[in-house]
Amino acid sequence: MLKLTHISKSYGQTQANKDVSLNLEAGQIHALLGENGAGKSTLMKILFGLVQPDSGAIELDGKTIRIRSPQDAKARGIGMVQQHFALFDGMTALENIALGLRKPPKDLRDKILKVGQAYGLKIDPDALVLSLSAGEKQRIEIVRALLGEPQILVLDEPTSVLTPQETETLFAALRTLADEGRGLIFISHKLGEVKALCQAATVLRSGRLVGTCDPRKTSTNALAEMMIGKRMGVLDKTARETEGEPILHLSHIKTRTGLTVQALSVHKSEIVGVAGIAGNGQDRLFSLISGEEIEAAGHIALKGREVRALSPNHRRKLGARFVPEERLGHAAIPDFRLTDNTLLTKHSQTRTPLGRGAWIRRTARSVIDYFDVRGGDERSRASSFSGGNLQKFVVGRELNDGIDFLLINQPTWGVDLFAAARIRQEILKMADAGTAILVISQDLDELMELSDRLAVIADGTLSPAKPLSDWSITEIGRAMSGEGADERADQTKAVA
Amino acid sequence: MAIALGLTLTLSFLTLWATTGKPLEATWQLLTYPWQAATPLTQWGKALNPAMYLSLIALGLSVSYRANVWNIGAEGQFAMGAIVAFGAWLLFGSPTGAWFLPLLLLAGTLGGMMWAGIPAALRAHLNTNELLIGLMLVYIGAQFLFYLSNGPWETAAAQKPVPTQTEELASALRFTGIFDKGPKLHWGLPWGLLAYLGVSLVLGLTLLGYRLSVAQASSRAARFAGFNPKVTIWIAFMVSGGLAGLAGAIFLSGDVGVLVDQSNFLQNYGFATIIVAFLGRLHPMGILLAGLALGYLDGGASWLQAKRLGDDSIAGIIQAIALFSTLGTALVVTHKVRWR
Repeated sequence: MLKLTHISKSYGQTQANKDVSLNLEAGQIHALLGENGAGKSTLMKILFGLVQPDSGAIELDGKTIRIRSPQDAKARGIGMVQQHFALFDGMTALENIALGLRKPPKDLRDKILKVGQAYGLKIDPDALVLSLSAGEKQRIEIVRALLGEPQILVLDEPTSVLTPQETETLFAALRTLADEGRGLIFISHKLGEVKALCQAATVLRSGRLVGTCDPRKTSTNALAEMMIGKRMGVLDKTARETEGEPILHLSHIKTRTGLTVQALSVHKSEIVGVAGIAGNGQDRLFSLISGEEIEAAGHIALKGREVRALSPNHRRKLGARFVPEERLGHAAIPDFRLTDNTLLTKHSQTRTPLGRGAWIRRTARSVIDYFDVRGGDERSRASSFSGGNLQKFVVGRELNDGIDFLLINQPTWGVDLFAAARIRQEILKMADAGTAILVISQDLDELMELSDRLAVIADGTLSPAKPLSDWSITEIGRAMSGEGADERADQTKAVA
Repeated sequence: MAIALGLTLTLSFLTLWATTGKPLEATWQLLTYPWQAATPLTQWGKALNPAMYLSLIALGLSVSYRANVWNIGAEGQFAMGAIVAFGAWLLFGSPTGAWFLPLLLLAGTLGGMMWAGIPAALRAHLNTNELLIGLMLVYIGAQFLFYLSNGPWETAAAQKPVPTQTEELASALRFTGIFDKGPKLHWGLPWGLLAYLGVSLVLGLTLLGYRLSVAQASSRAARFAGFNPKVTIWIAFMVSGGLAGLAGAIFLSGDVGVLVDQSNFLQNYGFATIIVAFLGRLHPMGILLAGLALGYLDGGASWLQAKRLGDDSIAGIIQAIALFSTLGTALVVTHKVRWR
C-alpha cells in the first residue's frame, strides 16, 4: 500500500538517507531497524511531510504523491505516534486529545472510549495526564492518532518507555490494527520485539538500505549483524598493559533510577568503552560517576577511596574530570562567556576571592589555543560557537591538567570529522600519559578505535568489561539490544 | 523597554484622568511635588526612604529569584527584622548609647534571616512550596508584631497611646535627619545604600554571585559544577531574608522608633518590592532605578491625597500598570503574536 523508493536526503555534508526504499503492505507490521543515526527518523520525517526528500518517490495505493506537511500526511491517512509524548500534564486525557483536533466532535468522549475498547487501549478520559504512567500516556497518543482513522500508523520506539506487561498490551492492540488491514511501521532496535511482532523488516545503516528480511525467519545474530555491520580488522587491537589497583572501581551499584553495575574498573593508562543505544542508562551512569546523582547502593572508589557520597567538586579535587554529553545547559551555560564557563568546573581551584581573575582568563585562552576553538575568543558566549567548536572547548577544559581519571560521554557527538579525530587523538594521548579513561559512546567505530576493554549497557544494566578481542560484533549487537544476558543464561544451561 | 515605558505613562495618565478629572495638574503635581512643597526635605524623605527600603529588599529578592527560589515573604521578614532588633535592644537592657546601633542593625538582619530560614529549611529538606510557606509566614509575623506591641512589650506609660505600641527606642539609636533635625531623609538612607552597594559587589564579583547565576541559568549545569542545590536555596533565602530584616531595622530606627500594630507599621514594602525586583529586571542597577521610581511615586501619591487631588491608592494602581506593561511587552518581545 505504501512504497518509498530511492529516497535520498542530505543535510549539508551529511547524507541522512541515501537511496532508501521501503515497501509496506496492508495488514503488515513492518520493522524499521537501525542504530542511532542510521536514518530512521529522517525517513519517517519524510513520510510525515516534515522534511522534503532531495530525490525519490512516495507511492500510496499505486499513486505517486507528494506529502507537503503533517496535515497533508494525516489527510492521506498516515498517523504517527512519536517517541516523546506531546501531552500537557495539567490537562485530562480528553482535553489533550481535543487539543490536537481542529474541530473536536461533540461525542469525542464516546469515540475515545469506543476506540479504546476496540483495541484494548483502556484510557480514562477524565484522568489528569500527570497522574498517568508512561504506558497510559502512550495509549492516549495512540488513540489520538487512531481518531484520525489512519491506514498507515508509524510508531517510533514505542516500547522504550514501557514495562513488559504494557508492551504485551500494546502488541495485542497493534496486531488487531494490522488484522484490520492497516499497515504499521514499527521503529525499534530491540531485536526480540521485532522478531515477535513484525512480518517484515527494513534495515538501515549510516543512511543506507542494508536489506530487507522476514524477522521471523532470520536469526537474532543475523539481524544484529545487519544492523551494526561487519567491522573489519578492528577487534584485533591488543589491550594496553594494566597494572596495580584500579583508579576507578564500581561494585554492586543499584540506583532507584534502575541502573545496575555489578562491577567496573578502570586502571591507570587504560581506556574502557561503554557501548549502548541511546537512552539505555548512559546518562544515569554518567551522573553516578560524576557525583551529580549520589543516591545509590553499592561502592564507588576513586583511587581506593570511597566517593559515593561526594559531590562532583570533591571528586574533581581527587583528580577526576567529567565531560557530559549535552554541551549546552549541562557542560556549559549558553549565555555565559567562555571564561565563566571555564569557571564552571574549575571554581574550586581558584584562590582569588573574586573568583574570576586573570587566572581563569588565561586558562580559557589556553584551552582555546590548544584545541583550536574557532568562532570567537574567551569573551564570546558559549551559544555563539558551533557544536564542534564548543565540544572542543568543553573537552579541552577538562584535559589541560595532569589528571587521574576522565569520564567522557559521547566525546564526538555532532562534531565534524576533523575535530572528532583531534578529540580522539587527545584522549589516546591522555591515556598514554597515565590517565584512566571511561568513554561512553553510541558510536561503535569510535569505541573500537579508543577502547582497551569494552562493556555494553542495555536497559540500565552494564555488562562486564572484556578486552576488545574477546568480543565478536554479533555479541556486541546482541548485548546492545538487551539480549546478551539471556543468551549467556541459555549457554550456561546448555553446558549444564 | 521603551514600549513598556510609553504604555505605563499613557495608562497612568488615563487613570489619573479617570480618578481625578484633572489629569494635567495631577500629573504635574505627581512629578514635581518635592519642589512644590513648603518643606521639600520632608517630601524628599517621603520619596527616598521608601525608595531605599524597596531597592534594598528587592536586591535580596532578586538574588533569590535569580536562583529560582521564590521568596515572596519579604513583608514578614521585614517585620521580623524590626521585632528582633527591638527585642535585642530590650534584651540588652534598653541601652541608651549609640554604640548599640550596629548591633541593632545586625539583630534586624539576623531576624529576617531567621524568618526566611523557615521556608528555606522546608523547601531544601522537605521540598515544600516556598511561595505558600513564605506568604503565610507574612501573616504570622504581622500578628506577632501586633501581639508584642499590644501585649508583653506594650509601653508602661501612664498615657496609653492609640493604637497601643511599645516604648520608644533610645534617641541615640534613632537615625536622625541628614540636613535637619526632622525625622525625614535620615541617616538610614546612606547606610541602606552602603549595604546595597556591598551586596551588589559581592553578587557581581564573587563566586557566590557566580553560583547564583549558574543556578538560575541551568540547574543541571549547577549540579555538574558541584553546587549543591540545597545550599543554593539556603543562600538565596539568607541573603533575601537578611536584607529585608535589615530594612526592617533601619525602618524601626529611622522612621518609627516603636513597634506598633501591624497596619500602622507595615507599609507593604515587602510586597511592592517584588514589583521593584521585576521592573529592575533582577539587575542591581535596574532595581535601584525601579526602587527610586516607585518610592518617588509613593511620596507623590500621598502628596496628591494631601492636596485633595485624589486617593493615595493611585500609587498601587500605577505600580500594577508598570508591572503589567513590563511583563506584557517582555512577552511580546520573546513570543510571536499569531492571530487565528
